[in-house]
Amino acid sequence: MPPQLKLNAVAFVSPQNHPILIRTFAQGQDELKYHYIAHTSLDVIDERIAAALASKSTDCYLNLLYTMEDVAVYGYITPLKVKIIIALALTDSVVRDADVITIFRALHTAYRQAVANPFLKVNAPIDGYNDHATLLQAGNSKWRAFRKRVDDIGKAVGAVGSAT
Amino acid sequence: MSAQRVTITYSGPIVFLSTDHWKQIQNSLVSQLPLRNLHWKSTSRNALRSIQELDVKLVPFEMLREDQAASQIPQSVLEKPLLHLYIFTCEDSEVYRTTVRKQLKEWHASVSTRKNQEWLIIHVVRPDQSVAQGRLFQMKTSVLDKVKADFNLDKKDRCVQLVWSAEKDNPAVWADTISKIKEGVLSSFDAALAQREEEVKRSEGQRQMPGWNFCTFFILKESVASSLEGMNLHEDALQQYYELESIFFQVLREKNLSWFGALITPMPTDDSSPLLSVTKKPYRDLILANTISVFDFRVYLLARQCILLSKIGDMEELCRKAASFLSTFSRTLRDVENTLPPFFIESWIYSSALSVVDQSDEWAKRLTLDKAALSAFNAAKGELLELARQQLDVLGIATGFLPNKPPFSLALPSTFDPADKDPKTKRGSMTITKTELLSSMEDQDTLYELYVNVTNRAIELYASAGRRKFALKLHGSLAALDIHRGRLVNALQTYTSLPAHYSPHGWTSMEAYMLNRALSIHEAAEKPKDREWIHVLLHFLRAYVDDGGKDLLLSEEDCKAYVEKLVAALKEAAQTLDNDTPFPDHPALSVSLVEPHAKLAESRDGALLQVVVNNRLPCDVPAEEVRLQLTGRENSQITFTAKVSSIAPGRTELTLFCPSSAMGTYALANTQISMPRLLFQWRHSKTPKQIKAGNMPTLVYIPKDARALDVRLKQPPLIELGTMSRIRVLLSTGRNEVATASVKLSAPSGIKFQYEDTQLIGEDTPAIRTDAQALTFLDLKAGQTVVAAVPHSDASAYAYMRINITVDYVTTTEPDITRTLRLSRVVATGLPVEINVQDFFRGTRLFTAFTLSTKTHQHVRVRSAQLLSDSETTGVRVKSCVGQKPGIVTLTPQQPGRFLFQMDSEKGTAREGLKLKITYRMLREEVESLIEIAVSEVVSEQLPLEPHRQDLTDKLIQALETNASWVELYGVTGELAVPGVTLTEDEFGAGLRQVMEKLNRKRSPTSFGEWRDIVIPVDVPQIHILASARLQILENPFSAEVEKAEKRTRPLYAGQPISALLTIKTSFHWAPPEDTRVQSYNMRYDIEDLTQDWLVSGRKRGDFVAKDGETFSTPVTLIALHHGELALPKVGVNALPLPGEHRMRSSVVPSCETYEVHGAEKVLVLPRGGRSTFVVNMGTNTSM
Repeated sequence: MPPQLKLNAVAFVSPQNHPILIRTFAQGQDELKYHYIAHTSLDVIDERIAAALASKSTDCYLNLLYTMEDVAVYGYITPLKVKIIIALALTDSVVRDADVITIFRALHTAYRQAVANPFLKVNAPIDGYNDHATLLQAGNSKWRAFRKRVDDIGKAVGAVGSAT
Repeated sequence: MSAQRVTITYSGPIVFLSTDHWKQIQNSLVSQLPLRNLHWKSTSRNALRSIQELDVKLVPFEMLREDQAASQIPQSVLEKPLLHLYIFTCEDSEVYRTTVRKQLKEWHASVSTRKNQEWLIIHVVRPDQSVAQGRLFQMKTSVLDKVKADFNLDKKDRCVQLVWSAEKDNPAVWADTISKIKEGVLSSFDAALAQREEEVKRSEGQRQMPGWNFCTFFILKESVASSLEGMNLHEDALQQYYELESIFFQVLREKNLSWFGALITPMPTDDSSPLLSVTKKPYRDLILANTISVFDFRVYLLARQCILLSKIGDMEELCRKAASFLSTFSRTLRDVENTLPPFFIESWIYSSALSVVDQSDEWAKRLTLDKAALSAFNAAKGELLELARQQLDVLGIATGFLPNKPPFSLALPSTFDPADKDPKTKRGSMTITKTELLSSMEDQDTLYELYVNVTNRAIELYASAGRRKFALKLHGSLAALDIHRGRLVNALQTYTSLPAHYSPHGWTSMEAYMLNRALSIHEAAEKPKDREWIHVLLHFLRAYVDDGGKDLLLSEEDCKAYVEKLVAALKEAAQTLDNDTPFPDHPALSVSLVEPHAKLAESRDGALLQVVVNNRLPCDVPAEEVRLQLTGRENSQITFTAKVSSIAPGRTELTLFCPSSAMGTYALANTQISMPRLLFQWRHSKTPKQIKAGNMPTLVYIPKDARALDVRLKQPPLIELGTMSRIRVLLSTGRNEVATASVKLSAPSGIKFQYEDTQLIGEDTPAIRTDAQALTFLDLKAGQTVVAAVPHSDASAYAYMRINITVDYVTTTEPDITRTLRLSRVVATGLPVEINVQDFFRGTRLFTAFTLSTKTHQHVRVRSAQLLSDSETTGVRVKSCVGQKPGIVTLTPQQPGRFLFQMDSEKGTAREGLKLKITYRMLREEVESLIEIAVSEVVSEQLPLEPHRQDLTDKLIQALETNASWVELYGVTGELAVPGVTLTEDEFGAGLRQVMEKLNRKRSPTSFGEWRDIVIPVDVPQIHILASARLQILENPFSAEVEKAEKRTRPLYAGQPISALLTIKTSFHWAPPEDTRVQSYNMRYDIEDLTQDWLVSGRKRGDFVAKDGETFSTPVTLIALHHGELALPKVGVNALPLPGEHRMRSSVVPSCETYEVHGAEKVLVLPRGGRSTFVVNMGTNTSM
């Protein structure tokens, strides 16, 4: 039986390390914990990026970043340097990278579709047009479609894990 | 299972082995060990493996215990020797054949039967012998050859000769032998390993068959691993363990764990023993006995892996593996938590994590790690320590020493139920054994100390690994502990410093959380709500209104009520501040413009501006005033304000009023919302760089208020050169009844204004007050315009004068508002015309010609030029030489105007105070005023056009500016035909048409508009001597001047002498008054020698004494050189220096002017007369 993955939290962080979106799916858990996880993961991601630069690797998937009590934190960096961090519930079994990469791909696609919305830039200040975070924050309150997509992925991960 | 060493046996003739020689050889051989640089090409592995160094155990063949082979348990392949050596020395082949060979045969028989073991015969010879043996044509075969022939049964050469003596002991002599030994070792290792791996593969293939036992398989596979480890092939050994681990998980998934014991059978010290020790339990025996628990098995597997990792030197991987094992396996343990002693898991993780850190540090001492590896190692160790720290969180919460809330509760497993974890409940008799945990469960201070220690260790490691964010998080938890312990000051300090680390990258949720903590601590500590508190609070509110800032505020149920409370407290606290505190760019409030156009207040002076105040807080914000500042040209600033009591949440529209506004375009500079002692400020002005980037400033347009108080400056209508310049200040009150209005003028060019000498012009002048700084008008009525002439210092150096005007005025209706009007005006100071003067003296008369030309490209209309004299005082009578006034003269750059005047003066009287007065205006001004007259005429007829008044004027002026074709016609006729105006069909077009019709009518320029005057003082020129020279042709030398009136009758001929008389009349009429007493001057005349026309004989040059009114005459004779109409020679008359008078070291020459009376005269000279008779032969008279 393949391991049942449980997605506890997702974080999107801009290339300038601004948080774009932090969603938690675990019930009854502290949001603070996942904010902490997203924030601290940036340190590890920086280490991984430096290592990737040294080895000239262009892989988006940054592998397991670290484990923390009952979650395993994985990282992913898109070609445009948006960082995606997910926290999976920790299990005492092997988690296949392919599964994790599938989740990341889905999240990346959700983000891409959200950013492709041309109306996002309507109210954005001119000087900040390169930073995704300001883009997203500008429309943050109206930013339901993206959240919904991410939530759907979160649900799907649990469903797929148990179905197969 | 400790690492095995490679074993090599040696043997030889007993006699030889007992010699000293052998001892020496043995020592030398041992010194060559360990073997270095082995290259193993395995049959089952692709890559060539290199073994840097291989330790070898050398044992006598006889000591080998044969019973080991009987053991059923698979051991490392190194358990058995890999190579057997037989060492002998024998110099004589006879001896060999008789004795040594037999012994060799025996040995060979015993070693060659062994599986997977190699053998090697070493023949030791002395160096001198080997030389002897190398001789050519040797009859006997050497001992070595014999040995080879006897024992080398297959192709492989297993005999080697060692040329060795105690004197010649160096590595070189061993090279051959050592390489043979390496070859042998590798070959037998390879064969043995291949065989063992084959077995493993076979066993793995049988996994699904009944009766297969994982433990047996494990032991078998592990033997491969330990064989590889014994050969120092750590990577390959580790690979075996990884394979074992994955097979374990596979088996685990297949739920085929029947041969294992329980998941865990906790032993008393399981929770506190070092994790990575493989000797703390007889693991192999447990495995062999099939009684090992999964717990022990996993621990053993991990420990083996970690040991190998430490040998490879990958410390980071080691720690990470341990940490992830601890977290993942503890999850499994949770399932059976009820069977374990209380806090077994926490204790196990805690002690294991710490022991891994200690153990890895121990191992790392042997290694030299580069910087990157070291920081990765530190980071991994930090994670382990954090893991240990989290166990303390759990313990603390369970024992009640720590509160069950974040951040302590973050470490709790999701299924945590505090009731389960009552430390008093005892399951069975066992307890945890980690002493420091036991004592910290008893005593909270011990726990805290432990907590702080472990956390600090982790922080230190994170810091050295460059993991700032991890360290921050731990700092946060330390601060939380401080709160719990009541050390509020420490906690406050941490919590107030932490937000700064989270805010720069927009982690407002974290920032808000930290600030929230800081605020609650502040309250709990009952510290005064001082400036610092206000700062923290404002930062909190900033984070609060940001997106995501509300995410983590769990401690307050009702955010609105909480914020409301804070804002109320803020207001109170702010009032206690001792001075105004600005707080820039707070996002909770914002002021923005509704539209860029300000409106006029209409009923009073000033402008209104609509703004929207946006309050993003959920409650009212107390405020006093909303203020908005605009910057205009030359940094002029105007301020709009509105008084408010509070700002409601959401958008609020406000109208701001500015009492003193001037028309123009302004940029939004800054906005401010103030509550007592606290100013929220926002800057809106843009730096040039921002503007370059396309970030334009917000503009505000303020319309002209026609009925507001206004000040204009004018050049005075009369400019009198030589007197103090005055500028006219026109103050019109508009709708205001002004109590006081003080006008200050300042010019950047440094011109000074002398307010004290201000003159008011016109009737009904108001009272004024003047001092050195300002001119103040008092009590002005509405609609009044007062004109004051303010003298100022010389400004003739500038063509234009820029003047900044500041008017502070108070109206009678609003006596408490002082309005300030700031204006900047430019006044032309230079004269538009240039004047040149030319004087011509004729006896007592003087003709003066003034030439007026424009200084600029503008046309100047001159209505009149008058030379004024007060004839009674000056004694000069002036008469204009232009009899008929031509009306208006237009000066253009091409065509200057000339004005000629004639003066008669009486001798000796004071001749001063002549003034030239020019009445003029610029063509542009004239046309503009003409248009304005026409427009106002039309507007008065058609009142609906009133709002278009300015537009009409502007349109026409613009049309005139673009095309100059109207100028000529206007100059001649006064009709203004405006070219190139397209008329629209509406009311405006009709109005325009009417105006143009009016303009097209003839109008005398003198009939309208204002003219300006310039009065220029002109001095009557003075001259000491006025000489008039005359050269007269005489009838004959003797006819004196008596006949001069007579008409000359005799013609003049070229070449004949002509008598002439030079008369010079001198007059002292125009002499300066101070020199009138002088009776005579010495003078000299000079007749110019025109060598082309005239020969002059007689006194061409001579001196004479000139007296007033007297005439000097001298005769000369002229000879005309050719015939024709000739002008008479010119005569120059000069004054000689005054004798004896010197001024400034040069002689004084009286001024003198000469005019030649005969200057225009010409005489007709005929060709020389005479008659010539020519006799022409008429030919012979044929009749004769």
